[in-house]
Amino acid sequence: MIRLHDLHKSFKAKTGPVHAVKGVGFEARDGEIVGLLGPNGAGKTTTLRMLYTLMSPDRGRIEVDGIDVAKDPTAVRQRLGVLPDARGVYKRLTARENIEYFGRLHGIDEATIAARIAQMARTLVMEDFLDRRTEGFSQGQRTKTAIARALVHDPRNVILDEPTNGLDVMTTRGLRGFLRGLRDEGRCVIFSSHIMQEVAALCDRIVVIAHGEVRAVGTPDELREQTGLPDLEDVFVRLADLEGEAAMGARA
Amino acid sequence: MKAIWTVARKELVDLFRDRKTMMLGLLLGPIVMPAIILGMGALAEKKMRTQLESTLELPVIGAEHAPNLVAFLKGRNIEAQPAPADPEQAVRDQDFDVVLKIGEEYGEQWRDSKPAVVELIYDSSRQDSQIPVNRVRGVLVEYSRTVGVLRGINRGVSPEAGFAVQVGQRDVATPEARRGMLLAFLPYLLILFSFLGGAALVIDVTAGERERQSLEPLLATPAARAAIMSGKILAACLFGMLSLLLIVLAFKFSFQLAPGPLQLIDVSVPVMAQLLLVLLPMVLIGTTLLTLIAASVKSVKEAQSYMSVLMFLPIVPTIMLMVNPVKNQLWQFAVPFLAQNQMILKLVRSEAIALQEWAVYLGAGFGLGLVLWLLAARLYHKERLAISA
Repeated sequence: MIRLHDLHKSFKAKTGPVHAVKGVGFEARDGEIVGLLGPNGAGKTTTLRMLYTLMSPDRGRIEVDGIDVAKDPTAVRQRLGVLPDARGVYKRLTARENIEYFGRLHGIDEATIAARIAQMARTLVMEDFLDRRTEGFSQGQRTKTAIARALVHDPRNVILDEPTNGLDVMTTRGLRGFLRGLRDEGRCVIFSSHIMQEVAALCDRIVVIAHGEVRAVGTPDELREQTGLPDLEDVFVRLADLEGEAAMGARA
Repeated sequence: MKAIWTVARKELVDLFRDRKTMMLGLLLGPIVMPAIILGMGALAEKKMRTQLESTLELPVIGAEHAPNLVAFLKGRNIEAQPAPADPEQAVRDQDFDVVLKIGEEYGEQWRDSKPAVVELIYDSSRQDSQIPVNRVRGVLVEYSRTVGVLRGINRGVSPEAGFAVQVGQRDVATPEARRGMLLAFLPYLLILFSFLGGAALVIDVTAGERERQSLEPLLATPAARAAIMSGKILAACLFGMLSLLLIVLAFKFSFQLAPGPLQLIDVSVPVMAQLLLVLLPMVLIGTTLLTLIAASVKSVKEAQSYMSVLMFLPIVPTIMLMVNPVKNQLWQFAVPFLAQNQMILKLVRSEAIALQEWAVYLGAGFGLGLVLWLLAARLYHKERLAISA
């Protein structure tokens, strides 16, 4: 269970402060996959970074399983499985060692780590490259390693930043099956993407973000109804106001 | 605290799998060091022997005015040579170390028992010419005195009347200390290697990890940031100590094999153990300082550009002591780099190090390391650190 309430975050830049996130708020329930949908630079990654305690919001509140992120970030990190935008797999370690490393940092004992790795290697189909060094891994193998690493401590809440980026069709399908499995186990899953079809194929609810603001929240059907458009891509373009921007860009 | 060890172990495994970097970091010092000691030792030794013992060829202007002097020089193994046309230029061009000029009026002055003037032409800024110049000067003084004494005897004057003051000299330098003078460069090498021995690793595990974008997932684990940073520093310190141990071993063996006077440097196990202890705070200071720098800059490239400044730091006290030699005082053992320099010189010169000096030295060294460590740990709490792109 994750609750974000009225988050704000701005960064200093040479040209003045950049207001990356202005008032983002939504809720992700257990046993539900929530898709965070938005164009590049909409504030998705910043929102997620505040959620997994890497940044602190200028304003607003985040709760994970009822725990305030600002008050007890360590307890929150224990309850989160995080796949950041940057995968950061160590290339001189094997996939197994990468996962073990994070398991130990989570304070899990060796036997449990081994059991978790065996289990995830089966579900993510990574047995044949588990004991190879990750240098030279394909994008899919790297992502799988990073996901297994993020979930080694069996977290109740799973956050994935653009998990299907750069993956081929079959790997993407496999990954979707895996995420549905997580949901069916009663976990709370949030994942971000800039591809409407991706989100529609997987998510129970969609949060559309543009310019650091939430534009719409709902199931794919609700969003279709709201806009009166049948095609999901059109729905996304309309909700995120991408047409207006494109027109502005053409005029400018 | 288990997290510290987990991080340190991972970083060491990661590093040791990177064979090339590891070998370079670990073995370059131990190989270069003996090469420098043995090479420079052999060179200095050979040079000194040739300059002191071989026949010195001395260009003499106006040799015909003083045949006796030339014969005396020859008896002292200094061979007179025809002089070049422009002796001053020749010395400036380093064609000759020293030229002796005997004036035309030499014979006349000699007969009148007046001081006969001879001139030495040399370049005092050339280290290399010191030994030949001193040799020639010594022989000239000897000649002057011998003749002076003989003249006195001829005139019935006691030769002792010619010496109003007799200067006796007692050099209190221990034999070890005199050898120590040859070793002014040694502290710098040792300090430099221990200061920056783990540099590659430190920069890689902080700035490098950030650049490879693997810091973000790492900081999303429940492990405390201070623990992660401490693990990285610990790994770098362990690596630095290993490289230091190899350097000290190389140091020991190269002095055992070194020619001539260098061989008598005390490299027994207790002295080497003390040397190791002296350099230990340097490893800590270097590692934590680099972590501090690497954690506060944007990229590996930026971190590396600090290296040239850092490499210069250990030589500052050596230069200062060269220009302005100061007496050993207790406060010096608290100043980083200067303290190491003094301690190593004391060890090399076989001087006793007082308990108080050890206490100040280790207290100040490890204290500074600890302060830098805490500063670096604070830096790891900064938001900016985790965000790479």
